[in-house]
Amino acid sequence: MIIKQKFPPGDFGIWVIIYVEFVTFAALFIGYAFARRADVLMFNESQLLLDQRAGFINTIVLITSSWFVVKAVKAIKNNNGELSADWLLRAMGVGFIFIVIKIMEFSDKFEQGINLSTNTFFMFYLMLTVFHFLHVVLGLVILFNIYQKTKIGGYSNADHVGMETGASYWHLVDLLWIVLFPLVYIMR
Amino acid sequence: MKIYITLVLLTLFAFLSGWFGFVGSIVVAMLLVTTFIKGQLIVDYFMGLKDVQFKYRVIPIAWLIFVLFFIGIAYYM
Repeated sequence: MIIKQKFPPGDFGIWVIIYVEFVTFAALFIGYAFARRADVLMFNESQLLLDQRAGFINTIVLITSSWFVVKAVKAIKNNNGELSADWLLRAMGVGFIFIVIKIMEFSDKFEQGINLSTNTFFMFYLMLTVFHFLHVVLGLVILFNIYQKTKIGGYSNADHVGMETGASYWHLVDLLWIVLFPLVYIMR
Repeated sequence: MKIYITLVLLTLFAFLSGWFGFVGSIVVAMLLVTTFIKGQLIVDYFMGLKDVQFKYRVIPIAWLIFVLFFIGIAYYM
């Protein structure tokens, strides 16, 4: 019989933050879905202006980065700090691709004159994606700090709560996008 | 690796259904189900909640069910 751990990985404080994020994004996701009902045609037509390929690539990018962080945690549990730092560096590199693609997407929309007051669809699109984008930026800052500490041997098999804390936040960023992508880019 | 590939394939499914312009209630249902599966895989294997007491694992899973259920209601009503 497998004995379940008493608490989730990382500092419990991060889980309180994660639960708060759940509530915030739930309100935005459900708000989007019900706002759409007021003008389905406008939502569907506006959605066609989004770059689905960029959304798809960014989903793969976040899943990949998240997976690399899993590898980093696994490596530190095996007391291999060097390998763990390598995986974190890869995770940040891939995560940075998300930032680049998203900035290109935002610039494209702003060049077309699209902003928060264009229509309800774009208000939600910009609110959701900019808010999520800020989470990605914060996540990368956290990963960078963890990477630096890992590089100087700050984590080990016995003490890696800090790494797990950052990893949990990064997986949250991935989880939120997993819902956001089909909802905003695909579902009609 | 299996989990990662499953996540990529389910994402590919979502992308292709949008790319080929598939619409309708069955497509929405399939997207909601695949999103739930992806979310659960992330919660269990990436966040590592599979090996944690159920009361902590159930929170993100309940969140997923809650959000996807109401999205479904909004699309079907």
